[in-house]
Amino acid sequence: MDSSIATLSRQSGLLEATQLIANNIANASTVGYKSKGTIFSEYVASAGSGNPSLSMGYLTAQNTDFTTGALRKTDNTFDLAIDGEGFFKINTPEGLRLTRAGAFQLDADGMIVDSFGNPVVDEGGSAVEIPPDAVTVSFAKDGTMSVDGEIFGNIGVFRPTGEVERVGNNYWIATDGDVAVEEPNLIQGFLEQSNVSPVAEFAKLITTQRLFDAGQTLTEQEHDRLSNLIAAIRQQG
Amino acid sequence: MDALRTAATGMAAQQTRVDVIANNIANMSTTAYASRSVVFADLIYRQEVAPGAISSTTGTVVPTGIQLGLGVQTAAVSMDIAQGALRQTGNDLDLAIEGRGFFEITLPSGEQAFTRDGKFEISPEGEMVTTAGFPLADGITIPNDARQIEISSDGEVFAYFDDAVGGQSIGALTLTSFVNAKGLEALGGNLYRETQASGQPITGQPGIEGLGFVSQGYLEESGVDVVSEISDLIEAQRGYELNSKVLSAADEMYASATRIR
Repeated sequence: MDSSIATLSRQSGLLEATQLIANNIANASTVGYKSKGTIFSEYVASAGSGNPSLSMGYLTAQNTDFTTGALRKTDNTFDLAIDGEGFFKINTPEGLRLTRAGAFQLDADGMIVDSFGNPVVDEGGSAVEIPPDAVTVSFAKDGTMSVDGEIFGNIGVFRPTGEVERVGNNYWIATDGDVAVEEPNLIQGFLEQSNVSPVAEFAKLITTQRLFDAGQTLTEQEHDRLSNLIAAIRQQG
Repeated sequence: MDALRTAATGMAAQQTRVDVIANNIANMSTTAYASRSVVFADLIYRQEVAPGAISSTTGTVVPTGIQLGLGVQTAAVSMDIAQGALRQTGNDLDLAIEGRGFFEITLPSGEQAFTRDGKFEISPEGEMVTTAGFPLADGITIPNDARQIEISSDGEVFAYFDDAVGGQSIGALTLTSFVNAKGLEALGGNLYRETQASGQPITGQPGIEGLGFVSQGYLEESGVDVVSEISDLIEAQRGYELNSKVLSAADEMYASATRIR
C-alpha cells in the first residue's frame, strides 16, 4: 500500500500547485502582482523496523519571484512604478501595508490614495497631501515630489527587513518591519504590470496536470494489482 | 476546488476589462470623453503555512510558507481625465477647455452637473445650452440681434452688434475644478456629478488658480487611444482564454480524482 500513500501525498501537493498556477494566471493583469512558484521536497517516513524507509514528495513552500514586471506607460500623474527593489507604504485601517501597485489618485481632501482609498505615506510615515490649486505634480526618481516646480514632499519607498506575507488587495505585510530604500528608482506615469509569464504558467499547468494523471494511473494500477492479488489468494484458499 | 473558482475570478476580471474597453472604443469619437481603465488586485490568501512559522525545535523559521491565493478582483475602474486633443470647428459656441476644469450645467431638476463637452447651442430663449438643452449655470443669454459672439480665453463673453464698433460684454464663463476629478460620478450624456470622493466644486475664472483656459471655436476630442485599447483588448481576450484553460485543466484533474476506486 506504500506506493498509493506516496502518490497521494504528491497528488494533494499537485492540486495545491494547480491552485497556485490558477491564481498566477488570474492575476496576470493585476498591477504589481508577483508570480509565485512551488517547492516540493522529499519527506522521509519510517516504514517500521527492518523495512526501507518511505520517501514522499510534498509541497513545503512557495517562492515569490520579485523581478520587476513590465512597465506600462499610462501618462497619469499619479501612476507610479518602482523599477527595482522596494514597496510603497499604505496606511490602511488594518495597519500599515506594503504594495507594488502604484495606481494612485487623489481623494476629496487632496491626499494621495490607492485604489481602495487608503493614503500613501511618505518617508516619515505621514500621508501626502497636494494643494487643490496644483497644476503640475511631478515625482523624481528618488521619490521627491514637486508641485508646480517646487519641492513639496516625497513618496516613501521601503524595503522589508524580513519576510513579507501577502494579504490580498495587492497588499503585503512586512512581518519584521521595513526600512526606507536608499536609492529608489521611481518612475512617474508608468504602472508595473504583473510579472506572471502566461506561457510559463501554462507550461507548468500542463506538466502538473500530466503528473497528476500519472499518479492517478499509478493508483488505479495499484488498485488492480491488489484486487488481483486478493482474488488469487481467495482461489488458493 | 479552489482552482476552479480562482480561474472563474480571472475570467470575470478579464470580462470586466473587455466591457470597459468596449465602452472606450465605442466612445472614441465622443467629445471630451475620458477613457477608463481597470485596476485589478489580488484576493485574500489562505495561509496554510505562514511565513516565519517555526519549523524546528531549534527555532528555525519557514522562509516563505504556503499562502494560497484565491484569485483576482476588480479594485477600481479609474477615469483618466486628461487633456484631449483639440479639434478646430470654427463655431462661435464650440468651446474647449485647455487644462483643468469643467463647465457647470444646471439640470432640469435644478441640480448641478459638470461637463468638459463644450458644444453649446442657443435655446429658443437665447440661453447658452448643451446639445441636450441644459443651460450653462453661468446663465449667458445671447441677444438675438448679436452679429457675432466672441469668448476670450479667460471666459469673458462679448457680443458684437451691427450698430456698434466694439464688442459688448454680456457675461463671463466660469470653470469648476475638483480636487479628485476621478471621483466624479458619470451620469452619461458627457455629464458628471459631484460625489463624496470628488470633493467640493471649486469655481473660478478660467486661467487662474490652476484652472484651464477656454478656447473658442475648438472642441476637445475623446481621450481614447484606440491603438492601446486594441492591444489591451487582445491581452484581455488571451487572458480570458488562459483562465478558461485553467478551469478545464482543473476540471480534468478533479474528474480523474473521482476515478479513484
